[in-house]
Amino acid sequence: MKENRRMNSEVNKTIFSSYNKNAQLFDEVFDSNGVAKNVYQKLLELYGNHSIQDYVQLNNKAKASFFNQGITFQVYDNKVTQEKIFPFDLFPRIIDEDEWEIIEKGAIQRSKALNLFLWDIYHDKKIIKDGIVPLDLITSSANYLHQMIGVDPPGGIYNHISGTDIIKHSDGNYYVLEDNIRCPSGVSYVICNRTALKRALFGVFNHYKTHSVTNYAENLLEILESVKPKGVDVPNCVVLTPGMYNSAFYEHSYLAKAMGVELVEGRDLFVENDFVYMKTIRGPIKVDVIYRRVDDLYMDPLVFKPESALGVPGLFAAYRKGNVCLANAPGTGVADDKAIYTYMPQIIKYYLDETPILNNVHTYHCSRPDELKYVLEHIHELVIKPVDEAGGYGISIGNRLTKDEIKVVQDEIKENPRKYIAQPIMSLSVHPTYIEDTESFEQRHVDLRTFTLLGHEKKFVLKGGLSRVALKRGNLIVNSSQGGGSKDTWVLKK
Amino acid sequence: MSIEYSITYNAENEYENPVDNASWQFLIVPENNETQELMSVDIKNSLGAKNEFSENGYGFRTIRINTQEKFQNLNFRANFKLKKISLNPFGQVPIFNIASNYELVQSLDFKVDFEPFLGQTQFTTLPKGSKNLFVFDTALSIFDNLQKLNNWVYQFIKFNTGVTHVNTLLEEILENPEGVCQDFAHLFCALARANKIPARYVSGYLHQGNGYFGDSQMHAWVEAYVPQVGWVGFDPTNNLLVDDNHIKVAHGKDFNDCSPLKGVVHSHGANKTSHSVDVQTQQ
Repeated sequence: MKENRRMNSEVNKTIFSSYNKNAQLFDEVFDSNGVAKNVYQKLLELYGNHSIQDYVQLNNKAKASFFNQGITFQVYDNKVTQEKIFPFDLFPRIIDEDEWEIIEKGAIQRSKALNLFLWDIYHDKKIIKDGIVPLDLITSSANYLHQMIGVDPPGGIYNHISGTDIIKHSDGNYYVLEDNIRCPSGVSYVICNRTALKRALFGVFNHYKTHSVTNYAENLLEILESVKPKGVDVPNCVVLTPGMYNSAFYEHSYLAKAMGVELVEGRDLFVENDFVYMKTIRGPIKVDVIYRRVDDLYMDPLVFKPESALGVPGLFAAYRKGNVCLANAPGTGVADDKAIYTYMPQIIKYYLDETPILNNVHTYHCSRPDELKYVLEHIHELVIKPVDEAGGYGISIGNRLTKDEIKVVQDEIKENPRKYIAQPIMSLSVHPTYIEDTESFEQRHVDLRTFTLLGHEKKFVLKGGLSRVALKRGNLIVNSSQGGGSKDTWVLKK
Repeated sequence: MSIEYSITYNAENEYENPVDNASWQFLIVPENNETQELMSVDIKNSLGAKNEFSENGYGFRTIRINTQEKFQNLNFRANFKLKKISLNPFGQVPIFNIASNYELVQSLDFKVDFEPFLGQTQFTTLPKGSKNLFVFDTALSIFDNLQKLNNWVYQFIKFNTGVTHVNTLLEEILENPEGVCQDFAHLFCALARANKIPARYVSGYLHQGNGYFGDSQMHAWVEAYVPQVGWVGFDPTNNLLVDDNHIKVAHGKDFNDCSPLKGVVHSHGANKTSHSVDVQTQQ
């Protein structure tokens, strides 16, 4: 132990010599005495062999590698669309096997409960009749599709792919921030981060027994194949992308390539006699399972938005007939609503008769008059979120707002209370992150997106995930569209 | 007693510039139900493209056409032979248990089961302050109130073609109460739902032999849910209960769910579309 401490102090002189530890924040690497936690000791020792200049060089190499691979995403602004590389941090996050077990079990529990909830909502609606979830919450959701009522998705699965956003709070416990089940993105970064880190620092990686993340694609393919339509022997799976201008196009092409399936756009498909076919130079080939990354309302211009040029006319009819499987199922977004999120503990209890393994953040519903009153009076200590926006858009953090801004937020909430929920400002854990401007390591807030797959009698959680870092000092929003970066995340083997 | 009908639906589409490919979905096939039986279907299109039977988002039969070759004109014609059976919706008029019926429509289970037809949609949203335009008298049965509502809508809107269009909202109708069957049906739905009675928009054909209002296109009316009876058809355009002159095609929450023709056409420039409907009785 003494040995380690001495080692750490030496490390601190080099790479971490200027690492400032804010006692208010929960640091995942160093405890309150500045001593590195066990799982990080070896890592720090190894990083200690490098000087900060080495690190600057490695960082530049890693950046170039991302750029050369075309691993980019687009940021939507009011006026312009920009293509950027996703900033990657070479100092990995390590999760030991015991903590991971909790996360994995918790993620599966939530996915299963959400799937049962979706089945119920689109069939008997027992959970509403039993007074657990209010009817208004469902019917007022923009993602509730009447067309899905009574439709049985192949294999009984709605949320084949779930992305659960988890944070570690200053109390040391994990909390779920949201469940993303409208085909969440980010998994390609998990795999690319691992590749980049291995390339740059193989000597470091090699000292840990870390679970692989490259098995995601094969598991995704197995999940997709498990929900093949009835009567199909060997299903033909494809990835349906909105096209190269979509912010996650890289991921769509990556996943198609990694699974060894075709990447298609709407115009590459057509429907005949309620079966879906792919146009090829050798003639039409039937398509059985579509991992679609096109939003519900753009999937079929004959059923949903008629102006959609991304969809396939007749696709929904083929789906209703059970001739093709769509992953995730249309209408799944009704459960990917921040107001539904707040009922997750009750939903888990109702369908599984279990207590939630992962905590929910306490949430105030602005649609409830007493809670609305509380929110309006305490905006300065709350995070206000629109219930139906993704990507961190529209979030207001109370203690960062000026008086005038608070007034604006209050007015917006009063105008449309159903649109907003509020949560206490959670103190996300911090992780040492290399900051280019200062050429040093600084504490930055971090969260974790896990990827859970649910198929017919099959489930899988990617052992790893996307640790997203808020690169701006003090920033709590980690979404890539809001200027976040990411870290490789190591889940250790037993 | 039954009547045999021959229904012809005709659509002409003309495009200024050649169309590369297109998909159309026709929601025009009469449904089979306890009062009507489809006996034959004959469909032709001038392009020689395949007429595929399919379903819309709610399981109603559609005909879909996909074209592969360039064209500028499309003529689509469908003929249906149908047997309509006269059926008194009540058999015997029940004695309504008024109090318990109003209690039923207030119950959570009822609201959940009929949720699709109780909510507001784009075309059935009443402008602020107009929710009380027609308030049910709870001393009367739900059925009696619906008949009064039918009459009220009939009196309120003046039948006039050319004033409204397929995208007219209730806000405009309340400002200037003139319109066609679609507008009558939307207002009826909105006011029935405001009184907690499920109401659905129905699209179909009307045999106009008796001088009823409709137009030379498809007709629209309403089905409202009457406890102890079930769905009952009301035609507010003609202040009638639906009878054997009404041939149902589909229902939905509003016109959006029942649009007779939806299409995706890859072309530019102007286009002209015309539809006509002809309903004849056959002896």
